[in-house]
Amino acid sequence: MSEAGLDRGQLGVLPRPVRLADESYLEFLESFRDVLLTRMFPAMAAAGHARLQAAGLPLDDDALALATIQREFAKAPIVPSWQRFMRSQQEMMWRRTRASFGATAEAQLDWLAAFDTAGPGRLVVDPDFAVPDYARREIHLQPGGYTDDPIGGIVYHYGTKVFYQGGNDQDELHAELAALTTPPADGEVANVLDLGCSIGQGTIKLKARFPEAEIWGLDVALPMVRYAHARAAQQQVAVNFIQALAEDMPFDDGKFDIVFAYIIFHELPIAIIPAVLAEAFRVLRPGGQFVIFEFPSASQHLPPAHRFMIDYDSRDNCEPYSPGFVHADFRGLLAAAGFIVSDGPLSRNSFLQSIVATRP
Amino acid sequence: MHGEARQSVRMKPGPHPQNSPNPASIGIEIDGPGRAYFDTVVTDNIIDMVMELAAEVWTVRDRQYVMENVLASQGIDAATLIEAHRPTAEEMAARRILREAFVARLLAGFLRRADVAEDKS
Repeated sequence: MSEAGLDRGQLGVLPRPVRLADESYLEFLESFRDVLLTRMFPAMAAAGHARLQAAGLPLDDDALALATIQREFAKAPIVPSWQRFMRSQQEMMWRRTRASFGATAEAQLDWLAAFDTAGPGRLVVDPDFAVPDYARREIHLQPGGYTDDPIGGIVYHYGTKVFYQGGNDQDELHAELAALTTPPADGEVANVLDLGCSIGQGTIKLKARFPEAEIWGLDVALPMVRYAHARAAQQQVAVNFIQALAEDMPFDDGKFDIVFAYIIFHELPIAIIPAVLAEAFRVLRPGGQFVIFEFPSASQHLPPAHRFMIDYDSRDNCEPYSPGFVHADFRGLLAAAGFIVSDGPLSRNSFLQSIVATRP
Repeated sequence: MHGEARQSVRMKPGPHPQNSPNPASIGIEIDGPGRAYFDTVVTDNIIDMVMELAAEVWTVRDRQYVMENVLASQGIDAATLIEAHRPTAEEMAARRILREAFVARLLAGFLRRADVAEDKS
């Protein structure tokens, strides 16, 4: 039996959906999403920007009110069409992905259970762990979100395949980010933390980058860390996973040389973020690096179409906390936590900012 | 455009159902009324229907492609055999169940937003 208890084999590093019909349906949506993002979004942006200019409004003024952008964009017929298509393809993707893997849910739970105590790495779960209410949202519209669907790991894995339009079928995005991870100046890397690791794609690639280091992946969601651990154990990659809070980490002071964080912060309430930064600072040793790839935040100029898209994404793709992050002075918060903040190397995803924050 | 001011839906409070493979409380976003973007919700519903149709058309085309290749590899000329096929009553009943499920999926958009046509605030 192949990974995740399925018998249709693998698609890259992914388990195939349970039936060919599911795979075909989801491939259609993957292609549909690709057109929405690579062809329809630029056309929508051009139409919306033309409407703003026709109204005598500047495109490069960050003070331009979002409501004004929305009002002018709404005049272009392509805009509600794009929103409808985006929302519908996302709903269809989750509906079919959950139904497909849900058809073998019991087998998958058995598969997860078989690896819970398997090595070479460890899975650490506190049975009394309480998931905070803020984390229990159906983020990206995923049924049960990260936290509430016991087979959410595999559902998320296939969902993100569609999200990345097939561009991450070999974990290549996470491999790129691991390769771009900036080590401490002294080159000493004995312990690395993947903060908000979800299904552990980055965690595994960090082990490949730093094979001698002890690697931990931490996430609030049990379905994610169980799947991450089972996947790593099946691949015989010695990484450890723990269900815990980023704002209250069960690690000793100064344990880590690197804390790596890929797109966790826009999924946290802004009120929580200072506590997370304080914890990252605490668990890093002096000279340690906090490596962050994340949504843009306040200090960066965004074209009106991107502001429109982020707002759409927040309200209609269940990203309840991203506006708070995008409008926050995230680099200022890092500095206030004690970090020396600098630009990190950019990835191929030009939407993401890259930060290296050093604990002095 | 009238999708604004909707907050993310909270899942049911209480312990999360880690041990249930099909918890009833999940899927609020994809099974609820969703969003509407046009002045008349019927436009949203029609687009949902067209997208479902398009996905189904592709799924069938893809399967047909795979099937004909599989059969050809076994020396079977599927196209000729399909045209000559005469279904039994049992087969027709089974196909009817599948067809009705397909129609229900196509019309789901109209059913799920039956009461929000006037919600244009």
